[in-house]
Amino acid sequence: MPRRRAGAAIPEMLSTMLEHPSTQTYPYQKVQLPLRFRGKLDIDPDKCTGCQVCAMVCPASVITMVDLGTRKVGDRELPVKRPVFELATCIFCSECVDNCAFNALEMTKQFELATSHKEDLTMKKALKK
Amino acid sequence: MTETSSTPMRREESAGLMEYSVENLVPFGPIHPALKEPEYFKLVLEGEKIVQVIPRIGYVHRGLEKAAEMRPWVQNMYMFERTCGICSFVHSLCYGQAVEELTIYQVPKRAKYIRVIIAELERIHSHLLWVGLMGHWAGFETLFMWVWRDREIILDLVEEISGNRVHKSMNAICGVRRDMPDNMENRIVEKMKFIADRARYYRQIIDTEQTMLERTEKIGKISADTAEKLCAVGPMARYVGLRHDVRLNDPYAAYDEIPFDIVTRKEGDVHALLRLRLDELIVAANIVSYAVQHLPAGPVRVKIPPIIPAGEHASHCEAPRGEIYYFVRSTGGRTPDRVKSRQPTMANLPTALEILKGQTIADVPMVLTAIDPCFGCMDRMAFLDTETNRHWTWSGEELRQYGINYYRKRKK
Amino acid sequence: MIDQTILEAIVFPGVFFTIGMGFLFDWLDRKTAARMQGRIGPKITGPFGILQPLADFLKLLLKEEVIPSHADKTVFLFAPALYFLAPLLSMLFIPMIGPVSIAGFDYDLLVILFLLAYAAFVVAVLSYSSASSFTTVATGRLILQYVSYEIPMVLAIVCAALYTRSLSVEGVVAGQSKIWNIFVMPFAFVVYVIALMAELEKPPFDIPSAKTEIVAGWLTEFSGRALSFLKLTKEVGYVFGSALAASLFLGGGLGPEIVGIPPSLLYFLYFMVKLMAVGFLIFVLKTSLARIKIGQATELFWKILTPLILAQIILILALIQGGVLVAT
Repeated sequence: MPRRRAGAAIPEMLSTMLEHPSTQTYPYQKVQLPLRFRGKLDIDPDKCTGCQVCAMVCPASVITMVDLGTRKVGDRELPVKRPVFELATCIFCSECVDNCAFNALEMTKQFELATSHKEDLTMKKALKK
Repeated sequence: MTETSSTPMRREESAGLMEYSVENLVPFGPIHPALKEPEYFKLVLEGEKIVQVIPRIGYVHRGLEKAAEMRPWVQNMYMFERTCGICSFVHSLCYGQAVEELTIYQVPKRAKYIRVIIAELERIHSHLLWVGLMGHWAGFETLFMWVWRDREIILDLVEEISGNRVHKSMNAICGVRRDMPDNMENRIVEKMKFIADRARYYRQIIDTEQTMLERTEKIGKISADTAEKLCAVGPMARYVGLRHDVRLNDPYAAYDEIPFDIVTRKEGDVHALLRLRLDELIVAANIVSYAVQHLPAGPVRVKIPPIIPAGEHASHCEAPRGEIYYFVRSTGGRTPDRVKSRQPTMANLPTALEILKGQTIADVPMVLTAIDPCFGCMDRMAFLDTETNRHWTWSGEELRQYGINYYRKRKK
Repeated sequence: MIDQTILEAIVFPGVFFTIGMGFLFDWLDRKTAARMQGRIGPKITGPFGILQPLADFLKLLLKEEVIPSHADKTVFLFAPALYFLAPLLSMLFIPMIGPVSIAGFDYDLLVILFLLAYAAFVVAVLSYSSASSFTTVATGRLILQYVSYEIPMVLAIVCAALYTRSLSVEGVVAGQSKIWNIFVMPFAFVVYVIALMAELEKPPFDIPSAKTEIVAGWLTEFSGRALSFLKLTKEVGYVFGSALAASLFLGGGLGPEIVGIPPSLLYFLYFMVKLMAVGFLIFVLKTSLARIKIGQATELFWKILTPLILAQIILILALIQGGVLVAT
């Protein structure tokens, strides 16, 4: 049975005082983020084909498809749709990224998403095509 | 001549029609600095000692089981992951396992090993969090700061593997969503060794520091028979000597292929709980090292159609707090028909009320935190009539009938 | 032309200096505790965060005051000022810039003892006047703790006075010119430091204001100006307790002469070094111990510390009688 005494933590306390502290002084110091960090969503409008798979798998109903008219393929008229993202509702699960067959979506490293205008968090990049 | 008592007496039905005077009642909660989540405990005192604890739960009930009936199978995985922040992976694991058994697909071996790695990492981080909290309630801020600094190592590891510190989103039905990154093996083994050494140092501190010992020894005692009768799960059963551990009794994921031994203690007080969780931490670190070094090759995921065949299945897992139990019933659609989840704090609550009897008020924060409560997970809805102090619960059918009658009356 | 004594009493080393020292001790406390725990303490306000306690004080002065409906309004609002006077007044009796203190006279140690008891009494009245369920528990614990630490503390002070044959602080300091009291009566120093931690409500004895059990103990219902002065008083009490320990046991401002430095500055420097030493000792003790229960604290004081200090007094008296020690 180890001997009981008061102040058993004192040696480590004094040695911790001489070490470098473990605090990251964010925001004065940049935070190192790992490769797989799931931050804000980003879309490459050139690669998106409007296949709607991302809207179907999203668990938080972030993605809505918007009708942008039709286009002729052979002798058929096919609808052209593009996604609009309400990123305020996003839960950063990256299901859409994994399921996109055209690699149009990726998760960036941006995590400072607080804003005073809710419109900043609606991503309509894919509509410009 | 009859004497009339001046203090009002109240009768509490849920405690067996116990009568107590309002003077002896100290309300603990729902908002209290010692509780992370709100729950209302009425402490009936006799002098300084607690005679009875009457709980009233339901302050953070979110209706997850009902919400699960309206969402597709995969979306439920993400919803149940957010039941709790500390044990989030185990919730999605248990749900996933229950649903997988209804399909015809097998989980690949590599996925099972990765599930074990993440689950054990979560156990380490949960126990470290708890040890820090015990230091904080005891007034020992230094232990709290040091333990949480070491916990950052685990959270950074998890962030490298899965992309997020808390909600890992690693589980999928029949597999895991991402593979382990390359070249992490040596680093993980090194960090597990470091964590195990730190856990041994903290064990030494709580064993020798006189003021901590005075706060934790001989408090919260319960006999092994009472614990078994009250259905204690997890560390609350193991700290009186019962060998109840789902990983041993009914192995899931890859636990039947990894050699490990569970930890039990005999003393049955809060100090034993501290030692038990620190020892479990060391065992978990060894499991992670073993699993990382013996990862089998192969796929990590099997893609399945969005419709799960009809049937019902239940599954249980060993969360850091005890045994989690999920029951899933499907009628062959895109959404489940019924999901029931029973969290370990719900099973440990009768034990908690039992060990509070005979303690003083100063011990209540320590004892309540010793059971590792997570009221956010466990909440249930109950009905209470404050006039007559009557408690009752309804079954699902009664609730539905009440709703129908209510709207029928309103239309008139 | 203002009288020099009044100038000394108000600015240096009187009221303003003491309040400044109170802020300094608060800052040192937070910085060393943070470094020992592996983090950084205050950082932004002023260089190294040294203005942080002042910023906290000013912020609290600007906040709204909420008075509970059942509280005794007069006591609630005015008693903090009475509490503030006690350690502030006591600091005037401690010699800091020379062998003569600002307000010292032949029996001022008795006044200091009275002010210690007065401070505890005012705290009990304050705590009782804010009638809420948490504070009544805190009042009980407070009075119990006061009863426990008072006797060993007074006896430790008396022990120092006995040996140096003087009932004024200047006299005790002057009586240590040959050897410091701590080497003659080490147990008295230990008992005094432990009783001081109980008086200041620092861990392991912060039972009456146990943050995680009864919200903030007797400080719970105070807000705004009253709270800022109560917190400041605690810090000034800390400075005073350490200053008293430095004077009674470590020889005040006495020390070897260094050529080239004027004697009053030297006196002041030695005094500050010893003050910081005692303060640092209490910082380390406070950070490394958990909080114990009120029953265990009472046991500690009555069963262990009181017999210890009594034995120390008897030992000193016997040694003086037997001629081994010469009472100065």
